[in-house]
Amino acid sequence: MEQTDQLILDTAHRLFSELSGAEVVNGAELGEKPEQLRQAILECGLTLAWVPEEAGGVGGSLALGFNLIRMASSFALPVALADTLVANLLLARSGLEVSDRWAALAYDGGDLPVLVQGEVNGVVENASGAVESGFLVVPVIEKGEVRIATFVPSTIDMEHRESLAGEARTRVILRSAIPGQLSEPVNDMTEDGLRQFCALVRASQVAGALEKMGEVTVAYVKERSQFGRPLGKFQAIQHKVADIAGESALTTAAVEQAVRSLSSHSEAFHGDSVVFMAVATAKVVASEAAGKVCRDAHQAHGAMGFSFEYPLQQYSRRVWCWREEFGSEFYWSERLGMAVANELVAQGGDPAPGNAWDIVSR
Amino acid sequence: MDNVRFNFPAPEIDETVEALRMEVRQFLREEIQNGGFVPVTDCWCAGVDLEFSRKLGAKGWIGITWPRQYGGGEMSALHRYVITEELLAAGAPVHAHWIADRQSGPLILSTGTEAMKRNILPRIAAGDCFVALGLSEPESGSDLASVRTRARKVDGGWEITGTKLWSSGAQHCQYMTVLARTGDWDPDKRHEGLTQFLVPLDSHGVSVRGIRDMSGVEHFNESHFDRVMVPDDAVLGQVGEGWKQITSELALERSGPERFLSTFVSVERAIQQAAPSMQGRQAVVLGGILARIRALRAMSQGVAALIGEGCSPDVEAALVKDLGTRLEQDVIERLREFWPIVLKQGYGDELQYLMSDSLLRQPSFTLRGGTNEVLKGIIARGIGLR
Repeated sequence: MEQTDQLILDTAHRLFSELSGAEVVNGAELGEKPEQLRQAILECGLTLAWVPEEAGGVGGSLALGFNLIRMASSFALPVALADTLVANLLLARSGLEVSDRWAALAYDGGDLPVLVQGEVNGVVENASGAVESGFLVVPVIEKGEVRIATFVPSTIDMEHRESLAGEARTRVILRSAIPGQLSEPVNDMTEDGLRQFCALVRASQVAGALEKMGEVTVAYVKERSQFGRPLGKFQAIQHKVADIAGESALTTAAVEQAVRSLSSHSEAFHGDSVVFMAVATAKVVASEAAGKVCRDAHQAHGAMGFSFEYPLQQYSRRVWCWREEFGSEFYWSERLGMAVANELVAQGGDPAPGNAWDIVSR
Repeated sequence: MDNVRFNFPAPEIDETVEALRMEVRQFLREEIQNGGFVPVTDCWCAGVDLEFSRKLGAKGWIGITWPRQYGGGEMSALHRYVITEELLAAGAPVHAHWIADRQSGPLILSTGTEAMKRNILPRIAAGDCFVALGLSEPESGSDLASVRTRARKVDGGWEITGTKLWSSGAQHCQYMTVLARTGDWDPDKRHEGLTQFLVPLDSHGVSVRGIRDMSGVEHFNESHFDRVMVPDDAVLGQVGEGWKQITSELALERSGPERFLSTFVSVERAIQQAAPSMQGRQAVVLGGILARIRALRAMSQGVAALIGEGCSPDVEAALVKDLGTRLEQDVIERLREFWPIVLKQGYGDELQYLMSDSLLRQPSFTLRGGTNEVLKGIIARGIGLR
């Protein structure tokens, strides 16, 4: 990793440690907006990590942004930093002006709203971060080409909802809506490339949260004694913790590989077949791990982990949500299976030994 | 250390690695097409073909990382990784030389005498000489430090007496690395006083008896050592350092592709068979299997890269083996949804053959080389719970 990347991550870590934490996260859900944290993140320019320097951003690598996202989720950060990072990157890639405010990403992996003669129609079921945001960034499609549109909240219909973890998920209804800004068709951006990128964002978030759940669990079973000894001395508990470590490590490995795959590609939103396979792998593994780690971590914690006050639930509720968003393990497994099958069929001829291996080992 | 955050760096794959992969792949395709071998499941433990091992030796693909003067190719660990993963994915019969290539050769290289290196390593690399592991005993399975085989110092060497169990492939091997107690048993210092010996299996007093396993394969052995004399220079490394030697290179042994690809041939055939009519549920199951295999591969390669950087990723390696061996079993359980397993053999159906053989062999996956319960203990210790 580059030295500047590490500096930015160190800064972020300090900032999150100081201004976020279990009480701030729970407070945010109960209505105390974390204004200090939100302001500090903007002032540090973290929301602009992916925006090129010439567009007023930090110019960080894709890896930097994904590491930042993973770190933020290991704090259960009660602000939609990941989504704003993506929104700002979309603005920059499409040539629109990037603001230094919070931006909402009105995209949830579903069909893009359709642009016809300057008007946008469609519904985004779960836009994230929209409630607190100054404006919405909405990828739209026109004749197969993706453009980026922006809207000011007051000009469109929105139904405010909350995710499992109490984070904003807003139903955005666009009826003949006229964008505030509208980009030209974005080169090398496809609807599925967009979906893959966002799926990897969620997988990274799961990875960060699972690491934290592992740490919280290890700390708890060391400290908590029952039957005269720490829980962590019981073999049954040790095996649960080992399982948590394994699922978390597997998720990390898959996410890191997918980030490398995406980074080695010149166009982050193009969505080619190699990147697809890496992203599908990461999201399948992350989404599967989310369920398993939650089960084991809660079991190891006993009733304590079930209470609102104890921080474990901040992570389990988040990963339960993130594992579904931008495609669950079922969605990406099916696509992965179909992609391999389709390629095998397209190769034609008799099935030769090693053909499937050839595809999956790329 | 109580870190539960891991990183799995990318291996440095240059064009020589990719070129080697393509060469191995092409060779294996031709071998299959020419009837050189029939793909088998769990090939690194159940596929014995001495002729095939010699072919690989002639290609320079055994002992490829060793110095040239000892018959090696002086290539990187990654080159070896690529060879092994291609062999496993193809179900090639590699059992005969597997242990010598992976373990015994490197052990001789780091602890053996110059004579051993000069005489034995080139023969291993040629696919002519095989080595068995003499670790487990009738009373020592997971608790390896409790071995009872004794080596007594006598004039001009050591006299070994005891019984080794589960030594895979010993009937084809010329040598066995035997872990024996050379010091007095001290329950407080269980890991001390153990020494490894390189014992020629044609020595006087050695008897090897095959044991049939539940899948019908007879690759296990019970080997008796009755006052077997070996010279002083049969000692591998230092007297009393046997435990340290065995545990020091476990990371490599535990994290290799044989810990998640043992049943891949079944997956390969299943996908090929299903591809033309693939639909919803079947795609979900097969795609899910592939995703997990791909993730384990990233993890395994990450461990290889860490070892290459000089780290000792013991916990990460134990994680690979625990997750990977369970996946090898789980794969067959998931495929059952579409291809039920009833018959003992394939009776002409290759996929059925691979599936039933995989099922009959699967209990061993999570046992060999340290049970998953032992591995979880290592993981727990690594993250500070023990």
